[in-house]
Amino acid sequence: MRRLFLAATIASAATATAQQPATMKPGATLIKNATVLTVTKGKLENTDLLLQNGKIAQIGKNLTAPAGAQVIDATGKYVMPGIIDPHSHSMADAINEGSLSVTSMVRIDDVLNPTDVNIYRQLAGGVTSINVLHGSANTIGGQNAVVKLKWGRPVDEMIFKAAPPGIKFALGENVTQKNSQQAAQAQGRPLRYPATRMGQEEVLRDAFTRARDYKATWDDYNARIAKGEKNLVPPEHNLELDPLVEVLEGKRFVHAHSYRADEMLMLLNVAKEFGFTVKTLQHGLEGYKIASEISQAGTGLSSFADEWSYKVEAYDAIPYNVAILMHHGVVATVNSDSDERARRLNIDAAKMMRYGGLTEDEALKTITYNGAVQLGVQDHVGSIEIGKDADVVIWSGDPLSVYSSAETTFIDGEIFFDKKRDLTMRDQMAKERAALEAADRGRRATPVIP
Amino acid sequence: MQIRRTLAAGSLCVLPAFSLGAQLGSFNPPPGPQGTFAIRGGHIVTVTGADIPNGTVVISGGKITAVGANVQAPPNAQVIDAGGLMVYPGMIETGSSVGLSEIGQGAVATVDIQEVGSFNPNAQAFFGIDPHSAHVGVARVVGITTVVSRPTGGIMSGQAALINLAGDTPPKMAVVPRVALVIELPRSGFGGRGFARAAAQQGSPADASRTRQLQMDSLRSMLRDAEAYGKAQSAYAKDKTLPRPAHDVVLESMLPALGGQMPVIFPADRANDIRDAVTFAEEMHLKPIIMGGQEAPTVAAFLKQHSVPVIVTAVMHLPSREDDPYDINYTIPAKLAAAGVQFAISTGDRGSEIRTLPYNAGMAAANGLSKTDALKSVTLWPAQIFGVGDRMGSIDVGKMANIVVTTGDILEAKTDTKYLFIDGRPIPLDTKHTQLNAQFKDRP
Amino acid sequence: MQIRGFLAGMTLACAAAIVAPPSIGAQLGVQRERNAPSVYAITNAKIITVAGPAIDRGTVVVRNGIVTAVGATVAVPGDARVIDGNGLTVYPGLIDANSSLGLGGDAGAGAAAGGRGGRGAVGRGATPAQQATAAGAPNSLHPLGLQPELTAVDLLHPDAEAFAGPQSAGITAAQSAPATGIFRGLAAVVNLGGSSAQAMIVKAPVAEHIGFTPQRGGGYPNSLLGVFSALRQMLLDAQHYGAEQAAYAKNPRGLHRPEIDPSLDALQPALSRQMPVVMEASSEREIERALDLAKEFNLRVIIAGGDEADKVAARLKAENVPVLISLNFPRRPQASPDADPEPIRVLRARVEAPKLAGKLAQAGVKFAFEDGGMSNWADFLANAGRTSEGGLSADQTIRALTLSPAEILGVSDRLGTIEAGKIANLTVTRGDLFTGRVTQVFVDGTPIEAHAPAAANGAGSLASGTWTITVTSDEGEKSVTLALQQVGDQLRGTIQGALGSSQISNGSIGANGELQFTASVTLAAGTEEARFTGTITGNVVRGTVAVVGHPQGTFIGTRPDAAQGGGRRGRPPQLPGGGWRVEGGGGIRDGRPLTQRWLLRRIGELI
Repeated sequence: MRRLFLAATIASAATATAQQPATMKPGATLIKNATVLTVTKGKLENTDLLLQNGKIAQIGKNLTAPAGAQVIDATGKYVMPGIIDPHSHSMADAINEGSLSVTSMVRIDDVLNPTDVNIYRQLAGGVTSINVLHGSANTIGGQNAVVKLKWGRPVDEMIFKAAPPGIKFALGENVTQKNSQQAAQAQGRPLRYPATRMGQEEVLRDAFTRARDYKATWDDYNARIAKGEKNLVPPEHNLELDPLVEVLEGKRFVHAHSYRADEMLMLLNVAKEFGFTVKTLQHGLEGYKIASEISQAGTGLSSFADEWSYKVEAYDAIPYNVAILMHHGVVATVNSDSDERARRLNIDAAKMMRYGGLTEDEALKTITYNGAVQLGVQDHVGSIEIGKDADVVIWSGDPLSVYSSAETTFIDGEIFFDKKRDLTMRDQMAKERAALEAADRGRRATPVIP
Repeated sequence: MQIRRTLAAGSLCVLPAFSLGAQLGSFNPPPGPQGTFAIRGGHIVTVTGADIPNGTVVISGGKITAVGANVQAPPNAQVIDAGGLMVYPGMIETGSSVGLSEIGQGAVATVDIQEVGSFNPNAQAFFGIDPHSAHVGVARVVGITTVVSRPTGGIMSGQAALINLAGDTPPKMAVVPRVALVIELPRSGFGGRGFARAAAQQGSPADASRTRQLQMDSLRSMLRDAEAYGKAQSAYAKDKTLPRPAHDVVLESMLPALGGQMPVIFPADRANDIRDAVTFAEEMHLKPIIMGGQEAPTVAAFLKQHSVPVIVTAVMHLPSREDDPYDINYTIPAKLAAAGVQFAISTGDRGSEIRTLPYNAGMAAANGLSKTDALKSVTLWPAQIFGVGDRMGSIDVGKMANIVVTTGDILEAKTDTKYLFIDGRPIPLDTKHTQLNAQFKDRP
Repeated sequence: MQIRGFLAGMTLACAAAIVAPPSIGAQLGVQRERNAPSVYAITNAKIITVAGPAIDRGTVVVRNGIVTAVGATVAVPGDARVIDGNGLTVYPGLIDANSSLGLGGDAGAGAAAGGRGGRGAVGRGATPAQQATAAGAPNSLHPLGLQPELTAVDLLHPDAEAFAGPQSAGITAAQSAPATGIFRGLAAVVNLGGSSAQAMIVKAPVAEHIGFTPQRGGGYPNSLLGVFSALRQMLLDAQHYGAEQAAYAKNPRGLHRPEIDPSLDALQPALSRQMPVVMEASSEREIERALDLAKEFNLRVIIAGGDEADKVAARLKAENVPVLISLNFPRRPQASPDADPEPIRVLRARVEAPKLAGKLAQAGVKFAFEDGGMSNWADFLANAGRTSEGGLSADQTIRALTLSPAEILGVSDRLGTIEAGKIANLTVTRGDLFTGRVTQVFVDGTPIEAHAPAAANGAGSLASGTWTITVTSDEGEKSVTLALQQVGDQLRGTIQGALGSSQISNGSIGANGELQFTASVTLAAGTEEARFTGTITGNVVRGTVAVVGHPQGTFIGTRPDAAQGGGRRGRPPQLPGGGWRVEGGGGIRDGRPLTQRWLLRRIGELI
């Protein structure tokens, strides 16, 4: 049986699904004569880009290719940093542990699925990094995973190791289960606390109070050990409270799904009281109503471009949200929260130019650099600068135009999507399917069920 | 690229003061009065003919009265300086239910999209649409001037309405109050339409087939009854000696469709469902329009042979199969164009997201459809499919003055709208969203 | 308990294996037990000892449950019942490396909600193993499903009828573990025979078992996320518990007596690596996760299922992890004309399944075979034979059914080969093991006739197949294709169609058809996790769909009837004997008529 797509041999290079290109792994790549959108340092016409050892090695005119480098003529094309999606539920075998109101102990890391074909479809839309979040079923959800979309690789090669850890919180209709309360009551199931926005504050306060006490227990124990006491049994490890202690200590980012301005303010105040900063408000569709407060808190916000009115708490959402926040100094991004929208975040960014008057670079930042800041990886990705990871995408034209499409997507200098290669793969897949079906049918011993 | 703010400079429209109360629909400012206007100096995209890079469009009494490079503004005309701007016909969204559903989750009182029961041919969207829906305002300012809004659900869902997105009462909005019948054929393999409701406790796949069969029989008999009814009514009209037939509002409502004057919308995405719909329509002498069309390319020859148009709502859908090429849905319009199938592009959205219509067309253009065809698929072609191609969908003399003046290519996301005319009336560009923006953008 | 009445017709001089409770002995009046001698000699047979080269013609002598002699020139004791092995081959009794065989409470007792967490009540139709584990461990401080102290030994229940299937596949012994749960409990190696539960036990406990399927019922954990955290927290707690107990034991004065927790107690041998931990893992990522968890707690792990173990072979070898390969290869589902075609990934898995063992052998990974939750026991040997497609030799295959599982389970000193001194478990075939027929097995020195198994009891195919489903939500009706594969109580599969394509997760199926799984669905508002909960009745599935933030939806769908053959639109299959027309509603399979309606139609054609 032919194995059409395995570039490597027996060992661990996973052939995830059929849509897996043998990743092209040149030592270096020289992209020539493109319009380079650095995002942080302006637009450079007729510029070359050298990718080497997984990094952006050189940016300039008329660069020479090192020996053995792959050369791509990008005349007429644009190059921009890979898109960063700060809110995704792709590639996870479970999204919600919704049985309890506080599930900080669960980890998206434990359930990542590198064979989700949506990874590939997002690469075709120019996305290179995503923030895989726990769902919005509860007030305090689980720990996130920041991932580079290295399609075909095992999970641990996809984890963005430089990204600080994070955790998902959620507020509003989903958490209070407003849209399923009637069904629950009709079926005689008890409602889970909290069923109103009032209860959300209680859950947060209680969880962080317990976390503070837990931290004190461990601090006491460590102090006694430091003083030389022997024969002490350490306190229990509580996986639910460990990440909350990390939040209190500023070591874990909080990404909080929220819509209404008043509940976002509530969260910011609770955080302030307990001494931490919420890293981002997710969706935050009414964030524009409290833009100054969000800015003063040092919190970022990741919103939709123009989705609204699908639920009551989204009825006051406006597409000017991102612009208003940015003009108040908030680090703002556009996210997808959808395998479908994730493929066209470039168009969503362009919408921010008509809704709020963002400049091109500002619009591009909402899907690149600002996302890197929100995820704590701005030293590694998010713009085209020398020394950063070679996560770049060649587009057929200006990525802010609806007529453009991504042609080649690089992560760490390797190609993980290429339009031409994709077309070749389709033939190969058709052939593989035919061969497999023949082998499958030819097998006499396989009876059909039942 | 500079974006000029949409302040109505030298404005034709007085901005009424609005209360920013939260009740639905205080947000759509009424159109100004019809009059005579000359949009001068813009790049005119007529859609039916060549562009006019520097020309004038004259609007009077609700119609386009002149278009050309050398057209003079009439002496009493209000002149709009469109220098450096683009002038387009208004876009037409044909696959939505605008005005029938405001907030889908959590506010059922705002949802009037699906009537109870399986057979509701006489349920008219016209009587359910709320002209003050905030969706109306936010959609029209991107250049969508007209929509087909339809009910859903059941087997005969009702009758769709073709409305302009302007006018504070439904009669003022309506272009064609009853433009198409909507029939959602039950699908056998998936349990039949409404199998969920009809199935007995102990179901089996045979039950699914049986349910479908029963439903199809009921549908056929209803249409045949309507046919007979129509025949009896017109016979009586000519010959009063016949027994006087009783009236029946339900059967009455199906007559235009049976006569072929009113098309019938058949939602169908799968190839088998598309074929079944067309075959059924021909059997019952109906004029079908396929709504959805995700697998239409695989039956394109069939559609062409039977001259059936398709409203493509699937451009932005995720591929439905794991092994599908990533662009399988982006390329639907291009494939249909190549096969000679008549089509239009639609978002398929119920209401709040129809303002992404131009980007659906743009995505199709990024994937094999020509830019001119992409524009046609949201202007002239939807008008033609719904029988109003002589009245709208292009900038031609005699057509309804639905005109959009923009800062750039109307299909581009960064493009902004400067001026908007619907039915020859100037439309203020205020919406719920611009008002909230104004209120909060400079909040300290 | 049932007495196998049909044994009365047997002509071979084998004693009937009467599995009888003491009460029957009392009914016989004088005797409490029969005193028939239990000495047998199989002569003139081909003997595969696995301990050495094959013996073309030899004799095996069994006395009182032990092999006393085996060889080419072994003398037959005078008191032995002689079995003429001409044309027969004798193998060491096959071992099913992982199963729930032999477990069961009182059949028909229904939901005994003993212990905490009596949820998950099972009714009639539940397998005995599932009924038993529904009861839970008494006095446990942890909920059902997280009770590592549950032992197979407490659930053992000799059931000759239930053993008939495995015995027909030549299986004489098995590792047997409780059937459901996350911490499933402590497994035992049992012989599939014997008159009492105690008599079945070969060695117990042999391993703690972990499964990763969240339970139905809604409590924590109800997703794979929670499953990992629950496992992790309990293992941490167990470590802490061990330290606490040790400290108290060393010097109790002044310390508050730490609470005794039978669950955490039961985990101590696993934490100290004395007891291995079997983890159910099939896909590449499941295996990686299991290995990661084992590494985190320094557990001595064995992987069970292992469908994609070849992709992790290097790591398995480096970390010395054996794999219990499931022989329950995926089957091709009934074709459904309206359904989306299967993904290439699924086709490939089905075609490649037999080749796994050969690849592991090449990579130097230790493995054995398990039944993998199969219900059609004819598959066990048939699929074992197919492993030759992957280059596995017959000897390697036989070893993976005998000595390798014995070694992995720590009973190779008493089982796994035919050697003097070992337990007399034997599998006797006419012809080759994989292509011939098992005629009888010896369990603990007692011969039992093997009979072709009855038609599959259907449990395995309760959920498997291609379902075409309509999902009704606040966004209207959407058509999807759900391709399911049932493995024991676990469900795997793919959803394709109007909601996008997604692999399903957290899937489980109860004995009464209660079904649950999650899938990623893309609705207008975004990509959400949809939780499907429903019931399968025959070929119809129906239930509810819960998506966070949305009102509850419903779904209903069907799977093609076996009788429908090509279905409404498909071309009818070409049949041998040509010219039979097949119409929807009646059909032909393998030339044998299935319905009376078909018969009448056939007659009609003949007339």
